[in-house]
Amino acid sequence: MDTMRTIEPTADELAEGRRLRRKKQATNLAIDVFLLIVSIMMLLPLVFLVANAFKTPAEMLSWPPTIIPRDPTIANFSAVLGETPLLRWIGNSIAFAVLSTIAIVATSAIAGYVFGKFRFRTMNILFALFLATAIVPFEVYMIPLYFQAKSLGILNSLWGLLLGYLVMSFGIFLVRQNVIHSIPDELLEAARIDGAGEFWIFFRIVLPLLRGALGALAVLAFFQAWTAFAWPMIVATTRSSYTIEVGLALFQTGFTVDLGRLSAASATVLIPSILLFVLLRRNFVQGVASTGLKE
Amino acid sequence: MLKRKRFIFAMLAILPTLAIFAYVRLYPIADTLRLSLYQWNILSKNKPFIGLANFRELMGDHLFLDALINTTIIAFGVLALTIPMALVIAALIFHRTRSRMAGFYETAVFIPHVVSLVPAAMAWKWIFDARLGPLNALLDFFGIPMQSWLFDPVLSVICIIVLCSWQALGYAVLIYLVGFKNLPVSLYEAAKLDGASGRQSFWHLSIPMLKPITLYVSVVTLVSGFNVYAQAFVLASDAQGAPGRQVRVLVLDMLENSFRNYRVGYAASEAVVLLVIVLALTLIQFSMLREKGKA
Amino acid sequence: MKNASVKTRISTRALLLSTAFVGTLLSGVASASAETLTVWSGYPEMAPFYEHVAQGMKASHPDLDVKVEAIALREHEKRVALGLTGGGQDGVTVIELSGSTATRYLENDLLPKAADDVSAFVKDEKNFSKFFIDSASYNGAVYGVPLFRGQGSLYYNTDMFAAAGLTTPPKTMDEYSAYAEKLTKRDASGKATVSGWSLRLSGGGQGIAEKFWTNLHQFGGAILAPAGDGKWKPDFANEAGRKALKQYLANIFTTKTVSPEMPADADAFERGQTAMFIRESWVIGDIAKKAPDLKYATAPLPKGSIALPTNLYVAGDDAAIGWEFAKAANSPENLIWLLQNVGWLPNRSGVDYSSVTAKQPAFAAFVDYPQGYEFFTLPAIGPIEEVLTRVAAQLVTAFGDASMAADDAKIDAFLKKASDEVVAILDREGLAAK
Repeated sequence: MDTMRTIEPTADELAEGRRLRRKKQATNLAIDVFLLIVSIMMLLPLVFLVANAFKTPAEMLSWPPTIIPRDPTIANFSAVLGETPLLRWIGNSIAFAVLSTIAIVATSAIAGYVFGKFRFRTMNILFALFLATAIVPFEVYMIPLYFQAKSLGILNSLWGLLLGYLVMSFGIFLVRQNVIHSIPDELLEAARIDGAGEFWIFFRIVLPLLRGALGALAVLAFFQAWTAFAWPMIVATTRSSYTIEVGLALFQTGFTVDLGRLSAASATVLIPSILLFVLLRRNFVQGVASTGLKE
Repeated sequence: MLKRKRFIFAMLAILPTLAIFAYVRLYPIADTLRLSLYQWNILSKNKPFIGLANFRELMGDHLFLDALINTTIIAFGVLALTIPMALVIAALIFHRTRSRMAGFYETAVFIPHVVSLVPAAMAWKWIFDARLGPLNALLDFFGIPMQSWLFDPVLSVICIIVLCSWQALGYAVLIYLVGFKNLPVSLYEAAKLDGASGRQSFWHLSIPMLKPITLYVSVVTLVSGFNVYAQAFVLASDAQGAPGRQVRVLVLDMLENSFRNYRVGYAASEAVVLLVIVLALTLIQFSMLREKGKA
Repeated sequence: MKNASVKTRISTRALLLSTAFVGTLLSGVASASAETLTVWSGYPEMAPFYEHVAQGMKASHPDLDVKVEAIALREHEKRVALGLTGGGQDGVTVIELSGSTATRYLENDLLPKAADDVSAFVKDEKNFSKFFIDSASYNGAVYGVPLFRGQGSLYYNTDMFAAAGLTTPPKTMDEYSAYAEKLTKRDASGKATVSGWSLRLSGGGQGIAEKFWTNLHQFGGAILAPAGDGKWKPDFANEAGRKALKQYLANIFTTKTVSPEMPADADAFERGQTAMFIRESWVIGDIAKKAPDLKYATAPLPKGSIALPTNLYVAGDDAAIGWEFAKAANSPENLIWLLQNVGWLPNRSGVDYSSVTAKQPAFAAFVDYPQGYEFFTLPAIGPIEEVLTRVAAQLVTAFGDASMAADDAKIDAFLKKASDEVVAILDREGLAAK
């Protein structure tokens, strides 16, 4: 900060500096404490959930509630795995999320590139169309879409789930921004002069340059499908076709419900998705952050 | 010639995406608008055109009005809780960017946004539980009368607001962080030289300069608030007996009309109302941005 | 940037890995066997019964593969509606539906008539009483095979009764309230910890209205009453309705024997969190499984109960195997198994259930009800669920309104409003009485 000073500081000034530094340290400490409390509060519900998963039914009903299980048990987990096709639901969710990710990344990459580098009037109109519908919430049109899935005969299947999650307007937008900012026209022109075909250019030049953006988009798309609820809820009505979200939600509508088991099932789902998130955090943050840069 | 070839490539490349987009987005949106004008009942063979009768019925349907009011309260409640908190937390995290803990804060605040909704809602269901939950235990500890959180007409709405805010906060913080990182450092240094305290520059520099971001986050938060469904579903879904008060929200009422009362046309007219609200919010955002640009 | 590209590589690998996983998953999906029969049920606890029936058919149909899909009732009804209108349902499906719900499908020609031999079996009054034959028929033709019925009785915890000095079950609705007050256990502050009489006060859907109707019936009212000529009218904006609602409100706000957030229903009864409640016979089976040591008894309701018959319908081509299944489900051996292991009451007459009822006295209240016991059932009209859902939503508001408890005028105004809303729905569907 005060590197510009050329004159020797007086004793008073030194003391003042020390005081300021101490004050700054104290402020930082206070901020850290505050943020730590906030962080813990944010994580606490999830910690509770995991803790509940290990509690016995008796402890679950005891008052006051305990935070750390007194007598940890894994009975809840074995009961849940025995009673519900939990693994199958997780499998359905993963399959759905992965296929949706692939579809979204593919459609966004191509469309984003075309909209970014082929500024024909038709393309601009089409792009405006994509953007305009981006603000229409899925919930608005999911009922007609449901009947389309029905007439295709793909209800209760992976394909039915997928139908609602094939394109993402934001993905197209994100790729287009990246194409405009990070792929110079000269590069493409040079390749064309060398006689490269348009498809070759797309696959060999454009795609590799978009790796970062597509990675971020992939993570976004994956989590979007992984946490989808309303659509799977109406499309998947057989036990074997539920995604994990729907399976869990309906698991608790059974006749008599055991909170410990419910927590165990929830924890089983939560832990892998948190791990995945921590692993891919940077991609994710990059992707989400870019959603805010529309302007 | 070359231009034509490029145009053909662009058309060919965009065609599959465009076809999918038209089928899974444009068509169902148009269909929603169409269905809203019909008495379209799943089971009956006769599906007559009835003009605006559905909308007229909506205006006198107290379940729908209930849902509309609840949803509006929830959306604005989440907004009021999330935006100020996100702004402060993001400012503090930004202030501590260089500390080792910054990554942890960011992750902790963000995790609720990525975990699946249903397990998260289960965790909160336990927290709010009137007889077993830690929230009442805490109140009891301090001698405050315990509340039946999920059953009281007012408190149950607050519970949903808290749950939604918990999930929305991370996204808002992240976007604000990006905003802070893009603010010109020189301005702050100038302010500091003028003797402005950290708090002063936060109020007089950061907040005005982050206005576009605030607008964007507000609209995103509001729009997702208007689409609230899973939270209300899980917090009140039937575990037999006394699960909780059903807070009627728009999407829930829509799905009930469509898949329980089989009145798809009527549900579509609700979807149209939802669409109009979302469009209005977005338009307000745009016009406010433009106004700012002029000033 | 460098860091970001490392992470990108990780995500690419994760993608590849999961793609491989999807591949394996997909390859496992496509396998269907020769003769399959799907059973759709709205009661998860019925699944073992249908599997038992399938087991019995193994002898004559060794290749038959029966898939039982038993899910929660609301979800079940949704999938039936969507399945029958052309999606999600393929092959032969045996569908379990209450007679009232089935009507809307029959009106729209979405379920086929029963095969001749099945029709003869159902129409034989030695097999089923007229009430059940009617519930499985439409315009005189048989469409379904009766199976079991929902019928309510009072369940009470005999230990708690003894502790409160009560020796007999309540016989009038006034006694229900008085008993509830005596049975409620309270903590030092006077707050109820064990409800004296568990009432359904919250939750989504029509359950609240159905339970309320049962109480209303004891006072002589009905949510919907026939008005002749296939028309209906609400019958609760009257003295019966006022009494029924007032009793709810008195229990919630005046004597405070129950509150919405208290654990309720079978769950609470099994855990000793409520002293008495009204429910169908399946609770007997549930208690045997989950709380075998619970000391309890059952008693008929003061005036009468709901009787909600559930039938089996068959959809799909080549339905013969489906009808055979529906008939097999009605074999005496299977019905006795049903009563003993699940607890739902079989509808077929001429079967000797005494081997089960003798061992489990709790069934007596369901089978040996007094002379003149009056049953009611849900009307077989399309919007029945919409009516119940809307009445339920109204009731939830009332159950939260303490000021109504002592204000008859307010109760009457409320009932009038709810009743008008029902009329509006009936009117829309052309079902309202003139």
